[in-house]
Amino acid sequence: MSLVPGIYHWLALSTLLFSIGVYGVLTRKNAVGVLMSVELMLNSAAFNFLVFNRYSSPALLEGALMVIFIVAVAAAEAVVAMAIFVAMYRSRKTIDVTQVNEMKG
Amino acid sequence: MPATTAELIQTIVFYGLALVALLSAFVVVTSRRVLRSAVALAVTLVTSAGFYVLLSYDFIAGIQILVYVGGIVILIVYAVMLTSSLELLEDHPSPKRQALGIVGALAFLVVTLSALLLTVFPDRTATAPPDNLAVEIGRRLLDTGAGGFVLPFEIISLLLLSAVIGAIVIARSYRKPDSDESSTEAAS
Repeated sequence: MSLVPGIYHWLALSTLLFSIGVYGVLTRKNAVGVLMSVELMLNSAAFNFLVFNRYSSPALLEGALMVIFIVAVAAAEAVVAMAIFVAMYRSRKTIDVTQVNEMKG
Repeated sequence: MPATTAELIQTIVFYGLALVALLSAFVVVTSRRVLRSAVALAVTLVTSAGFYVLLSYDFIAGIQILVYVGGIVILIVYAVMLTSSLELLEDHPSPKRQALGIVGALAFLVVTLSALLLTVFPDRTATAPPDNLAVEIGRRLLDTGAGGFVLPFEIISLLLLSAVIGAIVIARSYRKPDSDESSTEAAS
């Protein structure tokens, strides 16, 4: 396998970024930290769409359009998450996700 | 070995950006200061925009910088400040949690990488993406015919509208008519 970046190099890179995001979601305690890890995972998924678009059907634009939709959904998600964090902080003075466990059965 | 100068430059840029992206992503998930994580996230997203340019999708890279770095990261920085996690030093995760995280991330990595190595992808890189990328994307987004994206486009705009309204409803402070000073304080 050559060193010149091909589809395997790109996909391996985005897999690495995604697993770093998985680690963050599983270990972070601060809710904003969890949100940032989720953004990392979303970003690497969008990246995958673009890589597949480039390498398997460059004449079409489906992957690029999908990235635009992912970015829009990520923006909506970040807005709602920030509102929830602010409301959570106001009502209980913490956004530590291990402390928020009223709904635990 | 890289054959041409263009390939050599592409290879060097790819590995340089990949190194920066992985290091900053690592800082995002491990830094004890949340604001430092936010700055590292901005760096990761900018390097992603660099990857998009390298894949010759300049317009998407522009969107990435404008919306992700200019919008979402700023929003996250605001979230950090409004919840006063600014001066807070997050504890290191407990060994059990850390082990869980490493096992989860490694399991995903191994499964996906082995699937990747066992797959043969077609290589059709000879055809380049359309030159006027922004024009083509705009045409596809507003195309009402078969294969057009006008319906998802409208749904996304509705989703954004409802997300903004929902965020205002969730984050605003409810002031009861017979409330005391504490809720007024929270509203300011």
